[in-house]
Formats: sequence, C-alpha cells, structure tokens
Amino acid sequence: MSNHESVTIAPQSVRLFHQSLFKTLVYFFLLILVLAGAYKAFPLVVDALFLIVIAAILTAVFNPLVDRLESSGLKRIYGTLLMFGGIFGIVGLGVIKGIPTLLAEITRIKDVIQQNAATESLDSILGDINARIAEFVPSFQLDPDLISSLSSQLFSQLGSILAGALDTLATILFILIITMFFLVDGKRMTKKLIGMVPNRYFEMSLNITYKTKKQLTNFLRGQLLAALGVAIQSFIGLNLLNLIFDTNISGVVLISAIAGMANMIPFVGPFMGMVPAIIVSLFNNLGDPVAASHFYYILHIIVMFLIVQMIDNNVISPIVVSGSMEMHPLTVILLILVGSQMGVLGMFLAVPAWGISKVVIQEVYQGLKGHRLI
Amino acid sequence: MKENPSVSYPLFASFKDKLKPKRSQAQMALSQANVFSRLSWQEIKIVENAVHIRNYGPGEPIFQQGDPGSGMYIIIEGSVGIFLDIPQQSPKQLSKLGDGDFFGEIALLDASPRTATATALENSTIIGFYRPDLMDILKTKPVLGGKILLALSEVLAVRLRSTNGELVKVSRKLESLIETGTNE
Repeated sequence: MSNHESVTIAPQSVRLFHQSLFKTLVYFFLLILVLAGAYKAFPLVVDALFLIVIAAILTAVFNPLVDRLESSGLKRIYGTLLMFGGIFGIVGLGVIKGIPTLLAEITRIKDVIQQNAATESLDSILGDINARIAEFVPSFQLDPDLISSLSSQLFSQLGSILAGALDTLATILFILIITMFFLVDGKRMTKKLIGMVPNRYFEMSLNITYKTKKQLTNFLRGQLLAALGVAIQSFIGLNLLNLIFDTNISGVVLISAIAGMANMIPFVGPFMGMVPAIIVSLFNNLGDPVAASHFYYILHIIVMFLIVQMIDNNVISPIVVSGSMEMHPLTVILLILVGSQMGVLGMFLAVPAWGISKVVIQEVYQGLKGHRLI
Repeated sequence: MKENPSVSYPLFASFKDKLKPKRSQAQMALSQANVFSRLSWQEIKIVENAVHIRNYGPGEPIFQQGDPGSGMYIIIEGSVGIFLDIPQQSPKQLSKLGDGDFFGEIALLDASPRTATATALENSTIIGFYRPDLMDILKTKPVLGGKILLALSEVLAVRLRSTNGELVKVSRKLESLIETGTNE
C-alpha cells in the first residue's frame, strides 16, 4: 500500500519540483536582469545624485538671498528669477570678457614656451633656477626634460580640455535649473518628504532638518566669504607686486579666483593657489635678466600669499567661518587622496563634503540623543 | 407693502454661495487659536501652507514628557489627553482637549523639555506648528511673523499675570496659616 502510494505521489512531487525549479529559475533570471540593470544604471544614478547634491549645496548658498527678496514683498518665484538673472548677467559678462583674454593668454604662453624651447633659453633658465636651489637644497634639481615634456603634454591636451569645457557648461546649466526648482519649491518638497516620517520621529526629524540646513548654510556662507576674502586680497597683492616689483603677472583676476576657491581646501589649498601665479610669472619673464636676478619673483609671490594666509587665518576666517572645518592634517590628505579618484572636482569637493557630512552627523546625533532614542 | 426678508432668490443665492470664500478645516481651526486669531484670512492661508497636518490613532503619543519642545498643536478633529508622568505610578490625566483646542504654544519660543505627555484619545487630525515654521515665516514674511510673536507675547503676559495672582493668593494663605499657628 505504502509502495503504491509512493508510486502515485511521485509524479506529483516531481511536477511540483519542476514547477518550483522553474519558478526559482525565473526568479533567478529576473534577479540577474535586475542586478544587471542596476549595475548598468548605477553610474547614471550616481551622476544624477551628484548633480542633485551640487544643486542642494547651491540652494543652501542662495536661499538666504531669495528669502531676503521674498521678505521685501517680492514673490518667491520672481525673487529667484531676479537672482538668477543677476548671476547669468555677471557670469555672461565674465565669459564674454574673460574667455578671449584667457585664450589669448594661453596662446601667448604657448608661443613663449615654443620660442624659448627653440632657443634653448628654457634650459638656461632652469639651469639658473637649479643653481639658486642648490644654494639652499644641494640634492634637489629640476629636470629640464621633465618640465618641457609636462608642458608639451599640457598643451597637446588643450583641445580636449576645451571640448570638455562645453560638456561642463551643459552640466552647469542643468545644475542651475535644478537649483532654481529647489529654490522656488524646495520648502514644499522638504515638507512633503518630512510628512512621510512616522509621528513618533516627526518632531525630531523636523528639528534635525532645520538645524542641519541652518548649519550647512552658515558653513557654506563662511567658506564662500573666506574664499572671497582671499580672492580680493590676492587680487590686491598681485597688483601691488606688479606695481612695486614689476613682476609682470598677467590674468590676475583668474589667478585670484583660483586662489580663493583653492583656499576652501585646508593646508593644501593655499599652496595650490600660489602655483598658477608662480607659473605665470615664470613664463612671462622668460629671457628677462632682471627677473632672473630676482629668482623670477617666486619668493615675492610666496611671501605675498603667506601674508594673505596670515590675514585670512587670523582675521577673516575666525569671523566668517564657525570653526566647523577643524580637521587633522592626515584626514585632509586622506580625503584629497580619496577625492582624487573622482578627478580634480573630487579633490576640490572632498574636504567641504566631509565638513558638511560632519555637521549633518553631529545634528542627527544630538537630535536622537535629545529624544532619548539612543 | 413690506418685502418679506425670508423670501429667497435662488439665482442670487447661488451666486452668493459661489462668491463666498471656502475655508478649509485647517484654516477654521487656525483662526480659532489665540496665536492666529487676529490674522487676516490671507495671512491664515500663508500659515496653513507652513503648518503640518498629522493624523494620530487612539493612544498614540503626540509628544512625551521630557522631549525637547519644538512647537504647538491645534486639534482639527478628535480629542487629546494631557498626562503627567509620575515615577512608579500610572500617568495622571490633567485635561482633555477637543476640536479647536490648542496646546504647547510656549514651545514655539523655548526648547525646554515638555512638562507633560500629550496622547490622542481617539482618531485625531491635528495641526502642528513648529519653531522652524515660525522662523521661516519670520524670515520670509516678517510682518506676519511679528504679529504671531506679538500674539504669543500676549499669551505669555496673560499666563504670567494669572500665575502672579495665584502666587499672591498662595502667599496670603501661607501668611494666614503662619499667623494662625503663632496665635495657637
């Protein structure tokens, strides 16, 4: 009987087994499809998130200005449009005025290098610099071949850099459009998002969001004000160097802007800011014996940037930055190394992004502790 | 011949109904709370856009004693019990609030811990108006924010006066008790 039963049950169980195997295979296939899709879509999601994060940061920067315009009786949408009109006006003017100057400057430097490379005066200048360096550090020498290969590499990539600039321009435009939406409708979006939080955590989430937004705005405003301070000081300093020592540094506005932005990266930023000034001074003064006798004004430029840093560290930063960027030098180096995996922009954003994350984590921790949830 | 005032003109009544502004339940509840009672309907509408409307089930806490206070609540529909948590005892109900009642308005000014627990006694729809919302109104609509702050100050002044009155009564009672004790 039992044998008979097992015989009758067997085909059914086999059918069930087949069915379940088929189901498992279908699920497995679907899972693979989903995973492959996710893997394919992952870079797109990361790109979209990156744009949204940048737009959110810009919103935090511009929000106080739009709030102020709204408080004067202007509708939020008109305030936002007015502000963007102003920004586009300034940027447009900068592009119209700046790009031809920048291109002329690049072409001029390229010509100077080619001329000097031809007459081998670059070698003689490097020899002169090496002789001066040897007075201080005997073991350190600049390799002329390395310098000329680096500069030729830089100029050969100039075309692709300019092509990439158009791509970047489109991305910037896209970011600005997202920022505009965030500025006009951001409050409603935040309200909708927080509205999804369960009642138990609602008050806490609202407080954390508010405090984080406030801290973030203060932090970014501080950073931007400090950058603006450094840029203005660099502009004045470089012009003074040109006036007093005839250092022949061109593109002062651009160099000052780079110095200001680089200043957002602690420890490394100030050095990054002075590099373009030194390079421009070096190339502009090739073949000038007076400049050569002044070590191509490199020391003057370094001293000027050190003074700017002293003023920034002791006067401007303590006033405008709330001290939320206090980081160990090792942390900064590690962050820049990690950021460098995402290119120059990654290097530039790694430290401020960490600073922002620190503020968010601190606020979330305080909020959870206040509501006795941890 | 006098016209009967009760005679209705359907066409006119229909127009009148259409022209009559429609107020939401939230707007009606907001206009009843003393903090917003002096605001115009246009201003109430701005406040309505800033507040959060939440639904609570029976027995669900709105906030708990000791939580950092961050805003006030206005009941649109339902009822809320205010309880005092006493260690090693069951919570003591201090009051029961219903439609249109409001509580926790001092937390708009001060983040000190809540002195009692508020719990929904039935399915309730409640408006939450929090400090971040007030700050936002103060930033973007300073005149409206000023009116709300003035109303809040008036609430505080009334409470302070009433507390002073209570204090005077208690101190008089204490004096009379001391006097009685000395005479005896």
